[in-house]
Amino acid sequence: MLNPAPTAGATAPPLRNRRIRQGVRERLAPYAYVAPFFVLFLVFGLFPLLFTFYVALFDWNPIGEHHYVGLENFRQLVDDPRFWGALRNTVSIWLLSTIPQLFVALLLAHVLNHLRLRAATLFRMSVLVPYITSVAATTIVFAQLFDRDYGMLNWFLQLLGFDHVDFTASVWGSHLMIATMIMWRWTGYNTLLYLASLQAVPRELFEAAAADGANGWKQFRHITIPSLRPIIVFTVVTSTIYGLQVFTEPLLANSVGGLTCGAARQCQTLTLFLYEQGFGRFHFGYGAAIGVALFVMVVIAAALNYLLVTRIRSERP
Amino acid sequence: MKRLITTAAIVATAMLLVTGCSPGSGGGGSGDSKSFEFWSFTGINQKADVEVYKKAHPDVEIKLTEVGSTTETAQALTTALAGGKVPDLVLIQGDDLPKFMQSADNFVDLASLGADQRKGDYLDWVMKQSVTQDGKIIGIPTDVGGMAIAYRTDLFKAAGLPTDRDQVSQLWPTWDGFLETGKKYVQATGKPFLDNTSTSVFFQAVNQGTERYYDADHKLSYDKNPQVKAAFDLALKIHKAGITSKITSWSTGWTAGMGKGDFAVVSAPSWMLNAIHTNAPNTAGKWDVAAIPGGSGNWGGSYLAIPKRAKNPKAAWAYIAEMQSPSGQLAHFLQQGALPTTPSVYSDPQLVAKTDPFFSNAPIGKIYTQSVLGIKPFYIGPEDATVGSEMLNTLVSVEQGKVAPDDAWNTALTNVKNALRG
Repeated sequence: MLNPAPTAGATAPPLRNRRIRQGVRERLAPYAYVAPFFVLFLVFGLFPLLFTFYVALFDWNPIGEHHYVGLENFRQLVDDPRFWGALRNTVSIWLLSTIPQLFVALLLAHVLNHLRLRAATLFRMSVLVPYITSVAATTIVFAQLFDRDYGMLNWFLQLLGFDHVDFTASVWGSHLMIATMIMWRWTGYNTLLYLASLQAVPRELFEAAAADGANGWKQFRHITIPSLRPIIVFTVVTSTIYGLQVFTEPLLANSVGGLTCGAARQCQTLTLFLYEQGFGRFHFGYGAAIGVALFVMVVIAAALNYLLVTRIRSERP
Repeated sequence: MKRLITTAAIVATAMLLVTGCSPGSGGGGSGDSKSFEFWSFTGINQKADVEVYKKAHPDVEIKLTEVGSTTETAQALTTALAGGKVPDLVLIQGDDLPKFMQSADNFVDLASLGADQRKGDYLDWVMKQSVTQDGKIIGIPTDVGGMAIAYRTDLFKAAGLPTDRDQVSQLWPTWDGFLETGKKYVQATGKPFLDNTSTSVFFQAVNQGTERYYDADHKLSYDKNPQVKAAFDLALKIHKAGITSKITSWSTGWTAGMGKGDFAVVSAPSWMLNAIHTNAPNTAGKWDVAAIPGGSGNWGGSYLAIPKRAKNPKAAWAYIAEMQSPSGQLAHFLQQGALPTTPSVYSDPQLVAKTDPFFSNAPIGKIYTQSVLGIKPFYIGPEDATVGSEMLNTLVSVEQGKVAPDDAWNTALTNVKNALRG
């Protein structure tokens, strides 16, 4: 306003307009940058999710007719012993795999962080090998190890003077087998996560503790675990979600069980039951209802995790 | 510059959206009327047929995909029919066919392409299964699974049993005779006689009846039909006699055991010969084939069908017409061993003279055609596969010691009921 030239007034409106336009564009730009993810999520995430809720209300033959049945699918689901069996199997396999897996990973990370190992990088990277191996390959190898007649495990048992165990046929045997596969695959991955955040912990802390006379176990309990709390929370949440959706292992573990993972559905998980109903028997509506039930369970599990974790966090600083 | 990036991001997003929303836009046929796409399952060697056809018609392009097992192929077909790219020609296993027959609108009525003229070429009861109530022809049968018993001559000899196939057949005109032979074998050798009862006994015996899981009015009757109960009880009886190795068919232990001689006898529908061949190649010449106890029966067999949305149904039909004619099926049998569905070639000297060196030169053409000629056809319905697999699974559980034999029938009925409800 120091030099109010008459020409300036004439050019001011277009300049302001351009500024406004540029302002709008700058405000919109970030949305455009994040749009690819959200558009993909909309198409492949949100839409199928909502559509599943819709299909669950129908008797839906994918290549035939659709009939609206309301909540009938859910009523049948509650009455269906196969559903409760699958839930039991899922929870049991999840517990059997997650708890030991996270403990082993913690210990491994602690050890890898402390021991003066030659070729430390080699050891650190090799724990990740199971993770990058194809699940199908791992499963087939494990299924052969656990085989009744010609499996290596039974060969060992026989050497020790025991009878052969038909792992895949029994509930506990098959769960143990699948839990072992999951542990084999995920322990290294979790170890690396723990190790990465352990390396952010100042070494002086451990040295000071050692100077004060804390042994390895005390250091582990009072330094390693507290400093890893956020990442432990993360791994518990992710492995819960993964655990509720275990699919490939039970699908391939029982070479003849097909979609039921054994004659008595002894290791059929919820996702496998969903797949059997939806894509094996083509009861899309019933399969969708199982999907909705699974969704509710994941939400509940996530909420419980959240509550538990916030409590742990607030207990000790 | 910034504007450029923004524009690019928006364009990229729009493109993702467009491509994301148009399923089945990829690929696409060439539009050439001589080429077609064919889905088959593994282990049945349709490739050989395709090669023969291509040789005779060098201008025809066939894209053959072996999707997976019979069930996997049916699943892939369902997904494709529900909204994806369909093949021009597809092979459907007999047990999966009823589900597709329920939604026959998804397929070309082959009568419109000339199949009604050839209906009479095929075994009447096989053809009937692929014709709808209002006379549409959905599939053309490619083979049937006549039944027999495969046994190890070397192990029989060691047990002091006859090895000649006619004498062996005479040991077991009935399943009771079969059981007695088994007991003798176990007594002499201390080793299991049979692989299992679930597949090798129940699935054979239940297919020898005049009705299976449906009655003549096409109503489910698996829980009332005495023939089903009898087949089930027979399996339990043989299980209790302790003459089997209790190993489930198709498991890794089963294929390994077959090569190692862990059991001397396997039930062998005609397509099983191929499986024995591939699973136990080191046992060549040690097997032979005898008649099945309890008379004729059928297990298996497949159909060729053309989906309605096929790009080139005419070329696919030309293939069916040539390869599934009586002479085409005969040629396929001589090369591959799958049993023809066209009775006119059953007395053909080439078929009668066909022997298999792997099975001690057994006249497999003669043995298997005899087992399907006297057949009593029964209705196969949409839930047959479900009922059958639940019954089979219960018997497997019995063999694994998880279900007491005395509770087995009730457990099976409960399992079937649960499965039919969902």
